[in-house]
Amino acid sequence: MDYVSLTVILMSVSSLLLPIFLFDPKRREREPAYFLGVVLAASLLMIGINTIYPAPGTIFGSLLASDRLGGIFALTTLFVTLIVVIVSTYTKRGPNTPAYYSLLSFTALGMVLLSYSQDLLIIFVAWELMSLPTYVLAGFNKRSMESNEASVKYAVIGAMSSAIILYAISLTYGLTGTTQISAVVQALSTQPLTLATSVAVLLFVTGFGFKMSIVPFHMWIPDAYEGAPIIVSTLLAAATKKAGFVSAIRVLLAISTFYVLTQNPIFTLPNVFAGLALVTMTLGNLAALTQKSMTRLLAYSSIAQAGYILIGFVIYSYGIQNSAFLREASLGITGALFHIVNHAIMKGVAFLAAGLVLLQLHRGDVQAYDGLSRRMPFTAITLSVAFLALAGVPPLSGFWSKLLLFLSVINGPFAWLAVAGVLNSAFSLGYYAWIIKRMYLDEPETAEKVNEPYTYLVIFAVSIGLIIGFGVFPDGIINFLSGAFTNIAPH
Amino acid sequence: MTLTVAEPSIYVWLVIILPYAGALLIPLLARAGRIRDSVAVGFSLFSALFDLLLLLPVLQGQTVSLQDSVIPASVPWISALGINVGVLSDPYTLIISNVVAWVSFLIMVYSVSYMRGDGGINRYWFFMNFFIGNMQLIVLSNNLLSLFVGWEGVGLCSYALIGHYYKDETKTWVGTPGTRALGEEQAYPPSHAGMKAFVMTRIGDMAMLIGILILFIYSGTFDFKQLAQSSGWATRLSQSGLLVPVALLIFGGSIGKSAQFPLHEWLPDAMAGPAPVSALIHAATMVKAGVVLVARIGPIFYFALSANPSLIQPFFQTVAWIGAFTAILAASQALVGFELKKILAYSTVSQIGYMMMALGLAGLSTDFTMGLSAGLYHLMSHAIFKACLFMAAGALIHATESKYINEMGALRNRMKVTFAAFLIAAASLSGIPPFSGFWSKDAVLSAAWAAGQTGLFAVGAITAGLTAFYSFRMVGIVFFGGKSHRLDEVEREGHAVRESSPLMWVPYAILAGATVLIGIIALPLNLEGSLAWASNSYLVSLFPNLGSLPAYSVAAPQGFDLVSAGIAGGFVALGFAAAYVIYIGQRASPTRFVGATGLMHGLYTFLENRWYINAIYYKVFVDPAISGSNWLLAHVELGGLFRVNNAGVYLGIAFSSAGNWLDTRVVDGAANAFSTAGQSFSRSTRKIQTGVIENYILFFAVGIAVLIILLLWASGVTLL
Repeated sequence: MDYVSLTVILMSVSSLLLPIFLFDPKRREREPAYFLGVVLAASLLMIGINTIYPAPGTIFGSLLASDRLGGIFALTTLFVTLIVVIVSTYTKRGPNTPAYYSLLSFTALGMVLLSYSQDLLIIFVAWELMSLPTYVLAGFNKRSMESNEASVKYAVIGAMSSAIILYAISLTYGLTGTTQISAVVQALSTQPLTLATSVAVLLFVTGFGFKMSIVPFHMWIPDAYEGAPIIVSTLLAAATKKAGFVSAIRVLLAISTFYVLTQNPIFTLPNVFAGLALVTMTLGNLAALTQKSMTRLLAYSSIAQAGYILIGFVIYSYGIQNSAFLREASLGITGALFHIVNHAIMKGVAFLAAGLVLLQLHRGDVQAYDGLSRRMPFTAITLSVAFLALAGVPPLSGFWSKLLLFLSVINGPFAWLAVAGVLNSAFSLGYYAWIIKRMYLDEPETAEKVNEPYTYLVIFAVSIGLIIGFGVFPDGIINFLSGAFTNIAPH
Repeated sequence: MTLTVAEPSIYVWLVIILPYAGALLIPLLARAGRIRDSVAVGFSLFSALFDLLLLLPVLQGQTVSLQDSVIPASVPWISALGINVGVLSDPYTLIISNVVAWVSFLIMVYSVSYMRGDGGINRYWFFMNFFIGNMQLIVLSNNLLSLFVGWEGVGLCSYALIGHYYKDETKTWVGTPGTRALGEEQAYPPSHAGMKAFVMTRIGDMAMLIGILILFIYSGTFDFKQLAQSSGWATRLSQSGLLVPVALLIFGGSIGKSAQFPLHEWLPDAMAGPAPVSALIHAATMVKAGVVLVARIGPIFYFALSANPSLIQPFFQTVAWIGAFTAILAASQALVGFELKKILAYSTVSQIGYMMMALGLAGLSTDFTMGLSAGLYHLMSHAIFKACLFMAAGALIHATESKYINEMGALRNRMKVTFAAFLIAAASLSGIPPFSGFWSKDAVLSAAWAAGQTGLFAVGAITAGLTAFYSFRMVGIVFFGGKSHRLDEVEREGHAVRESSPLMWVPYAILAGATVLIGIIALPLNLEGSLAWASNSYLVSLFPNLGSLPAYSVAAPQGFDLVSAGIAGGFVALGFAAAYVIYIGQRASPTRFVGATGLMHGLYTFLENRWYINAIYYKVFVDPAISGSNWLLAHVELGGLFRVNNAGVYLGIAFSSAGNWLDTRVVDGAANAFSTAGQSFSRSTRKIQTGVIENYILFFAVGIAVLIILLLWASGVTLL
């Protein structure tokens, strides 16, 4: 048996076993976290081995395939979930703790399945498996009005997007008689272009776009991130969002290899992606500028980053059908993958740091960050590094992924997107620098030192290490990621 | 035949790495006082020593080649794109690098005393060391990408150090609070000045990044030597009409970083930082980064199209004229300033204009080397005398506790060393023989003369006259004349105005000495010829077959051109005489000359308000941005959504008429979700009942609707 199936089985068992802790009042505070932590660490190890030494082929019939692309996403999402579990030991107490970890485990399982899925049905099942627990998790502070509000909003819009995806799947099945992605691609490529196909594709864009936080399907994000327990927001921003991207890559980019949306040269799939990318990054950055709450600022910045990632989609779907742009296509999609990985780290650690501030100071507004460097020096430096990386300041990791993305489009019909991206990055530094200025140059209300737990410090150190490490030595990771896209290439 | 000496490549890397290492040690030694200070200064010294080691062969007229040791001269960085990171070692680069290293070191020594007791000393040392590392990265990089890394790094340091006195106490402001131009406040607290510098240079950086990316797409490389040796990209760029635009985009970075018109307005306000910061970053080194960049891309663009260099002429025209215009613009503003460091800042902007002019002239004359080496000459001599002036100014401000020259006066007997150093450096700045500034400015002006660019020459010569006037106006007001009331007051309070400590004056005395020394040896040792040789070696390192390139030619050695030197000297003498009569001899009153009204007064106000460029920028760019952002907050977040909603409803109606099947599937689905959600909300809580989620769902639905309508339109389906 290969490591991926082992991981799936291990995580399923752990998700089901975790509630057992509910019956042991003495052991339900910390033990579930330890248990899940060990399970996740073991899964990370197994997936890691499987990604580096791949056992090629399909798993569970042809539902899953253990390829490098899946490995990258599984590793990223599991890594974030593990950090969330570790940090949750600080924030999560009370009788429902085992249920909390069980839900986390289910979500993680959903994300792993989604990463590897090769079939529309398993995509839907995994999508729901990933999403449903997060609706509950978002409302886990059950006495907090904001948390409830976040949960309800998130669930309503989530349900809508699930319905849209399901509808798209049903259309696709009706057209091709199969749910296997490769077979769907095969069948569609031989059919004449019909309106129904195009509708199905657009519905996939909107359904996945909801998780990817693409404007205009983004409006739930700031509210949900702000209202949910901040540690859950970390999970939403850094992990489940990535799962949205992997689904889009698996389905949409596979279809884009042969498919034109319409015969009209303006309304093509690359152009749709390009329009969405432009609107998403611009609106995200504009809105972030005026935010007074840290979580909302991070939420809008998260939206903006999704816009940059979409650039990779634009050039891939364009270049794969224009042999002159094949090199750019591979460059762009590598950049997108790199930015997805970077974003998980940068945004994850930024959320964690903001969470620590919230936990210790009980404040989430940006004023709370005044003079933070003197009260919580390690948190302040971590946030600063993460922000500079998010803004794409060299030589941090975010610079390289953006550079690859912009480089991939600067030549050809989407040059304006590269210019927009560069201008947006420049603009975004405005609000990031504003927070950094607050932390370092403004006077704190009190000079009292605030405790920064070791667990957080270790995670901060690891994340900063990755951000700077990927930035100074980007070669290894870029080569690794660029090898992930061989099996999505044209058949 | 030039000899080549092999040196280990690790030396060059250490020049870059040691300051970074020093910076990283500072936080660890935060509490170690003296040890921390020594580490900060020591690492800049080590870096400078390695640099000197590399320069020694150059001083003997030999070139340096690098032998891979420990870290190779070129290291693979991103193999997927074939990008390497590496270092250069040609004489031109090494001379600039040494100027940076040694001026930085002296300023670090000066800082020990100047910054003693400052609360933010750890931050200060960290950023100063970090800055030196980044600056060396810019100078020594063999490719545009790692140059850009250093470029952003120095920008960050500059921002942090301008805002060093972040508490924004009024005495640390730059400008006189309350002064207004066109209704815009003309005085800024340090943190505002830092932000201003950051934003303005960032505009240039973005242009530069776009330029670099386009260049990479056409050439497939960031490496200077590879760019130089493969010329196909230039032809393709010029065929698509992008050759000059790309060069100008990259030059945009220079304009921002080197404070050239129209992005020059940040530098005068950057003087809010501590004096050594102004000396190091905003006079001697960082602002020269733009000059270095032009020196890098200039030759490449010039020789790349060697068959037809006239295509790239507009680029060099622009560089030269922006330089010349900036030179006279800033010099005219310096005429009326009263803040000591601000006058020096205007003068820096103006002098960098000369360097840009020289580099532009390189491409406009028959002999490319001439302009290139004139630029280098002026860069070198300016770094030395301007750092000296700034450090002396810091000492003056320290002693008199005022930043205004009219609150000093008659200091020549009390601060003798400072007076001597300031006088020498000011004379050098004015271009008075035999100081270094005379020779370097003459090199620039004679290059313009030789190239037949009479317009540029005239602007440069007039600017030289203005420079002499404002330099000796400063000297006159600060060191001659009577003691100011302010000084009397300070002395009554018991602070004796006296010479600064040796730790402070030794560094600037050394620089003043260097100015004299360079001035004296310039002719006997043919310094200009040596620099021309260094520039030529640099070109050869880029283009091994330089001699056979069609665009390359060597003009007959100019030597010392009496006509051009005579004309420039006339203007300098005029400026000097005027300043002498008014401020040193005190035989005429400047106030009576300007008057309270009339043309001269208008001109005075015009200059004092920086030609109103600063105020206009605030009116046009800053004010609307601030009010726009406020408007966004007030209207888009609250009011705007409802408008979007209404639009959404109309769209929804149009959409539902598109077809029945769409109608039932999507709109009804959305509408159902919408109403169920609405009901569940009103039951659960009033607080959620803000109607917001309906907006969101509607937004979502509108998003789908727009896409589908577009789809229908694009597929040729007509709506009812």
